[in-house]
Amino acid sequence: METVNVPEPEESLPSTSISNDQGLLQWISTVDHKQIGILYLLMSVLFLLLGGVAALLIRVQLSVPNNNFLSPEMYNQLFTMHGTTMVFLVMTPAILGFSVYFVPLMIGANDLAFPRMNAFSLWIGLFGGMLLYFSFLAGGAPDAGWFNYAPLNQRAYSQSSGIDYYCIGLLLVGIGTVGTSINLIVTIIYYRAKGMSLRKLPVFVWMILINSFLIVAAFPPLNAALSMLLLDRQLQTHFFNNTSGGSPIVWQHLFWSFGHPEVYILILPSFGILSEVFQVYSRKPIFGYSFIVGSGIAIALLAFGVWVHHMFAVGLGLTVYSYFAASSMLIGVPTGVKVFNWLGTMWGGSLRFTTSMLFAMAFLVEFTIGGLSGVAFAIVPIDWQLTDSYFVVAHLHYVFVGGSLFGLMAGLFYWYPKMSGKMISEKLGKWFFWLFVIGFNMTFFIQHILGIKGMPRRVYTYPDLPGYTWMNMLSTIGGFLMSLSFLLLFYILHKSYKIGKPAGNDPWDAYTLEWTVSSPPKIRNFTELPPIYSYRAFRDLKENAKNNKHGK
Amino acid sequence: METIFSQWKFNLGASLLFILLITFYFYLTKGKLKMGAAFYFFGCFLMLVLSLSPLHFIGMHYLLSAYMVMHILLLLICGPFILMGIPKETPNTSIKKTSVFFFNYPWMGWLAGIGLMWFWHIPKIFDAAFPKSQSLFGFYPLAFLHMLTLLLAGIFFAWPILGPHKELRAHPLVGLVYLASACVGCSILGLFLTFAPPTLYHHYFMADTFGFASTIKHNWGIDRAMDQQMAGLMMWVPCCFIYLSGCMMLFFKYINAKEKPIVIENNKLERRYS
Repeated sequence: METVNVPEPEESLPSTSISNDQGLLQWISTVDHKQIGILYLLMSVLFLLLGGVAALLIRVQLSVPNNNFLSPEMYNQLFTMHGTTMVFLVMTPAILGFSVYFVPLMIGANDLAFPRMNAFSLWIGLFGGMLLYFSFLAGGAPDAGWFNYAPLNQRAYSQSSGIDYYCIGLLLVGIGTVGTSINLIVTIIYYRAKGMSLRKLPVFVWMILINSFLIVAAFPPLNAALSMLLLDRQLQTHFFNNTSGGSPIVWQHLFWSFGHPEVYILILPSFGILSEVFQVYSRKPIFGYSFIVGSGIAIALLAFGVWVHHMFAVGLGLTVYSYFAASSMLIGVPTGVKVFNWLGTMWGGSLRFTTSMLFAMAFLVEFTIGGLSGVAFAIVPIDWQLTDSYFVVAHLHYVFVGGSLFGLMAGLFYWYPKMSGKMISEKLGKWFFWLFVIGFNMTFFIQHILGIKGMPRRVYTYPDLPGYTWMNMLSTIGGFLMSLSFLLLFYILHKSYKIGKPAGNDPWDAYTLEWTVSSPPKIRNFTELPPIYSYRAFRDLKENAKNNKHGK
Repeated sequence: METIFSQWKFNLGASLLFILLITFYFYLTKGKLKMGAAFYFFGCFLMLVLSLSPLHFIGMHYLLSAYMVMHILLLLICGPFILMGIPKETPNTSIKKTSVFFFNYPWMGWLAGIGLMWFWHIPKIFDAAFPKSQSLFGFYPLAFLHMLTLLLAGIFFAWPILGPHKELRAHPLVGLVYLASACVGCSILGLFLTFAPPTLYHHYFMADTFGFASTIKHNWGIDRAMDQQMAGLMMWVPCCFIYLSGCMMLFFKYINAKEKPIVIENNKLERRYS
């Protein structure tokens, strides 16, 4: 039998050709954190395309009233898959991709603590995602929404095997995510460069450390709930089945005790990215390092004390609501602290309006809108009025897209030269930025009004009520504009990779250790490290050199 | 006319404990007032006032939520304040030995605080801790034990974080994990109480000896279910905020501490940039 030798990696960015040893097989077998980081990002792009197509089909269906473009059953499957895909298979892998790529580089390590576990986590996550999509071929995708409420998730209401695939797929994704988080925690705690105490950790690394603890704490309730649901559906147990003594409310508690921290799991890494981006493009140290890190810790701790605000319409009683309304408002405080930290960082800085910086600045606006509509939901009567309406859809997209995704975009444009070795065309990048910002706001801002006017979410069509038609049409046009902007983004990334200008080690005059090495970094990240005097180790090195030159 | 808020009652157990604590302080300091004495006396005084107050009366006879406020204050306010006032330098070596013990076994402090909190909320034990009949000057041995252990648990729980010997305290980041995990322990108990059936503790279903049940139910609008929910939520949400405030305090203490400058000579990369 012919044997195939697994190729030893020679470079960080081998081709994807199947004709040579450093091609496809090298990517599949890699345990290098940089390649795995890129694979995570590619996984995210793959599912972004799938989730994006689902979103477009939804918007086409909703573009006009009384539309029959999609059947109600298919519509249910599409909005469920869209939400599940975007949360678990797009945002999470994108965050993990940036984390596993840049955390070792920013702390002066040559890889993660457990490289094989890193690879395992990636592939098991991808496999989970593929299983979820296989459900389309196996009789029907899950159709009870991304939070999959009981009793809709029971076999009596969802007879296809879609929800079984949802359970197994998300269990696998969860195992992968927890695995990577443990890997990141161990790496950050044990593999930092000599002299890099936690006080000198770059803000992004701090946020990933906090986020990893959050993941390790938040995913077990979800995985327990998924296992229990699978038992309900396959072995007729009674955890969530109200007709046989189970409690659908327990599903909601278990899901949201994961689901609310998940919101912060998706936003904290973006907070870290933005903290790096604002510093570098403002040419100033972050304003209030300890507050920005401290507020990250406060957010992570408070995240577990507010989940009941997702259940204000359940009927848990006014006493419960009063407490959780108060705690939900409280969590806005550390988030607000961060926004002021970033504004303070820009204040008096020498700003450079790169595409990355534009995304960071736009984040401040979009995320604040999402945050304010979130605080509105902490007010119980408003929640009762608006729950399950398009106001919720608008709010969550302003948080997930206007918050998390804008942050990730800022990170993409900031770090792309490091990952690819090529510069992105700023001109095209700005085209993308404006197209995306206009498309995003056109799609979702109007949905606040739709929600206030009473349009329910997750209903496959609507009657021709005053205002509904033009607002939905506008939202659909915005959705297509966003899609167009993504096509432009892929073109920009491809073009830059092929014919972009070489980036050099440090194209942004940046502050952290990843910029001390070549772009893209070699397989072995570091052969030497500068002394670490602060969380801006590379900047210190450059400043010292400058001072020495001028004899200071 | 007697109202529920005029129910200040003499409590022999609490008064004895107060005298005992004050005597213990002066025994430790050989009769002198040392730095931080105000914290110590505040903790003792708060414990006494709480035990004599209508809050204690309501908690003992009517409302689990009032009992919970007592419980949280004893464990998380009185205990730590008393600890903060215990002097570092004492002729007696037991304080230093305790600090060394909690330095080596900080989880014992955690177990004392969180374990005891859970222990006293086991329904049968909880019910047993309340008096079944009047005794001398309001002294009920189990109720006294209940209060004493909560106060001691509060002191021991806080010892690895606020112990009198700074050099023997846990590292601030370890302390942060210590408090965050305590918050989880509290939250789970609070969650149970919030969503458990309202018949969990039988004590509050006993006959209304003092005649205030109607006031509480009709004027205050608090029934058994709401009372238990409030108690659980206090344990879950505000109690955790106390822990989280401690976490933030420890974090800022850590992050703002000065570090010794590092000296790495002959660094190649530094030479290259020079």
